[in-house]
Amino acid sequence: MTETETRLREFESDLVVESYEVVAEDVVAVTLVHPQGEALPAWTPGAHIDLILTPEITRQYSLCGSPADAHRFTVGILNAPNSRGGSRHVHEAVSTGSVIRIRGPRNHFPLVASPRYVFIAGGIGVTPMLPMIAEAEAARAEWTLLYGGRSEASMAFIDQLRAYGDRVTLLPGNDVALMSAALDDRIGTPRPDTLVYTCGPEGLLGAVEARCASWPTGSLHLERFAAKATEGAVDTEFEVELARTGITITVPADRSIFDAVQDHGISVLGSCHEGVCGTCETVILGVDGEVDHRDSVLNDEEKASNESMMICVSRCRSGRLTLDL
Amino acid sequence: MKPTPVPLSDVNLANLDYFVADEAWGMFDTLRAEDPLHWQDEPDSDGHGFWSVTRYDDIEMVNKDGETFTSTKFVNLEEPPAEFQDLRRSILESDGSRHQALRKLLARDFSVAQLRRYEDFLRGLARMSIESALEQEDIDFVDAIAADFPINVLARLLDVPDDMIPQLITWGNTIVGFSDPELSDVLVDSDEAQQYKHLPFRSPVSLEIFEYGRQLAKERRGGDGEDLVSKLVNRIPEDGVPLTDTDFDNYFLLLVVAGNETTRQAMTLSMKGLMDHPDQMQYFLDNMDKSQIMVEELIRYASPVYHFRRTATKDIELHGKTIKEGDKVVMWFASGNRDDAKFTDPYGLDLTRFPNDHMTFGKGPHSCLGANLARMEIRILFEELLPRLASIEQTGEIERVRSNFVNGVKRFPVRVKAK
Ligand code: HEM
Ligand code: FES
Repeated sequence: MTETETRLREFESDLVVESYEVVAEDVVAVTLVHPQGEALPAWTPGAHIDLILTPEITRQYSLCGSPADAHRFTVGILNAPNSRGGSRHVHEAVSTGSVIRIRGPRNHFPLVASPRYVFIAGGIGVTPMLPMIAEAEAARAEWTLLYGGRSEASMAFIDQLRAYGDRVTLLPGNDVALMSAALDDRIGTPRPDTLVYTCGPEGLLGAVEARCASWPTGSLHLERFAAKATEGAVDTEFEVELARTGITITVPADRSIFDAVQDHGISVLGSCHEGVCGTCETVILGVDGEVDHRDSVLNDEEKASNESMMICVSRCRSGRLTLDL
Repeated sequence: MKPTPVPLSDVNLANLDYFVADEAWGMFDTLRAEDPLHWQDEPDSDGHGFWSVTRYDDIEMVNKDGETFTSTKFVNLEEPPAEFQDLRRSILESDGSRHQALRKLLARDFSVAQLRRYEDFLRGLARMSIESALEQEDIDFVDAIAADFPINVLARLLDVPDDMIPQLITWGNTIVGFSDPELSDVLVDSDEAQQYKHLPFRSPVSLEIFEYGRQLAKERRGGDGEDLVSKLVNRIPEDGVPLTDTDFDNYFLLLVVAGNETTRQAMTLSMKGLMDHPDQMQYFLDNMDKSQIMVEELIRYASPVYHFRRTATKDIELHGKTIKEGDKVVMWFASGNRDDAKFTDPYGLDLTRFPNDHMTFGKGPHSCLGANLARMEIRILFEELLPRLASIEQTGEIERVRSNFVNGVKRFPVRVKAK
């Protein structure tokens, strides 16, 4: 039976950085503890926490330490060169002893019991795999890990992974042909007794998804880096023309389009209000300026096309939008 | 028209006689004014009684706070035994991350952007139903026009063959009319229903719907169909936990039932509203380009769903009373739509009404997944129907569904003359 998790009050607390360690080029492992040394909420492999870096910047990071350690949360953080400030903020401003507010943990990527696993990670997507692998080991399941990255120097945790011997295959060099061949080898043929777990950049996830299409339903588990959300973005005021209603409203810097539209007495529906469910998708009729898509519903192509947007989180960077409302 | 008030001492929201007589509105008015958090016993069923919120703002508050007011203890007045709850659980009765994952499975398939693809198909379907209905002068509006259109659309979204559509209609009717003796063989409060406690709506018809759904699922698993069944069986929820067989059964059943009776009643009650307000009927015809806005008022006016229910997860104070952990709390959406603190002249039908932030589809995380589809069906029906009518008049008594859940009409006899 599926567990229906009711999220009652979620854990939210200031934690202290116990250690801050560079584990690869541009990747740091940050370990957080409770300021009074209290135990932290329990979690399972695949879980993530929110780091509330500033009032505007919240980012989600997979936990990569050991669930058995009730006093520590460890996350691996990449300094993405084109990130708009979230991870850069961590790299530049956080050091041992600093205080970070966190929320969670939550698990959208749980490890389901299985005799065999294929783990496939790209870049920083390896972080949730570490506790998964430890659990698969403990359960005496068979497993392999395929781990691709830009270069060996950029790939975090490889020393620790090498200890597992030939169950771990490293593919540095971002070589698409090599990765493709390795994927065909690992998951080209469906196996009913095997679960596939993957986390990494969109291109890799797509390639895995395509190959798993012919697998039994439920075989593939993947984690998109969801809720890229408000990282580094500065919220500004802008105008929205509601074409159907025939009015133009101002969306203040501190309100969402959804709220502003509702403030004007128009019935709009939402569910998650976090840009993840897709309920508030609204058709864009015109853009003067730049749409700031902050959801994790639309893929990059859809975002670029500016045909629709999630009005609970996405905004306009300047100028004016015309919506089908 | 403003209803006759019902004195507070006579208010009984568990008494279906009021609802079948269309007299619930007088009770709602009294409660909003005099007892905004009202306790109701349920002497005639095995229920433990329930709190009612009837003011717009209170309903919105309860609806948006899924932590304090959970859906996981079920959302109608019935209290399924704990041991059957998981067996009967659908998206409606899930909260938190599982609810979001179930919702995301199909949310975008019900977005305006996606549904636009069906506009021409729906219009064709509406024209067909209308033309065949207009071949006669004396018709039952419900049966001849409103009944088949929503289920036909759904059949198309689920990609079920035409010869199954009459069966789908019968199933939908039986299940939703579960408190009405005429529509259902087994009544929800009857002794016989006790043996079906493990089934949704305590109805054995659920089993037939499940079986049909499973057959479709089997055919489509692993395929690349674009229909909702294919998407349900081939997509993995974002929480990584695949749909179990019961998850699928209950999702499929909900799709068959949720959009059927509700949309039909929205159409019927809207038609009645337009006939009672001839100036508004004319306004609609003269302002067809504003139909999307006008439909919002029709939907508010119709309010085809009286209520959904929540359960308190802790003690909380409201209006000087204490809702105890575990108490049922009923949100009377239909009453919220008649709250004069929110809407001027709430009993009037005013197609130019603005603002019009109604709560027909609910307001919170569980807000109706099919709202855009329902809106589109209702809009297209009236865009196609009204210009075809030379006249329409009521020729007999309206007969209502005996239910405090659906605000519904079983029979609406009218004489129509086509242009
Ligand atoms: C005028 C027609 C309709 C009305 C008045 C209506 C009303 C509602 C309401 C009030 C809810 C909220 C339930 C709650 O708060 O617990 C709801 C939920 C839902 N409706 Fe509708 N509905 C209509 C049409 C449809 C259609 C056409 C479909 C789809 C085929 C549909 C599918 C659903 C589903 C799946 C949910 C559950 C959403 C969730 O729990 O997240 N509805 N509806
Ligand atoms: S409400 Fe869920 S994406 Fe906007």
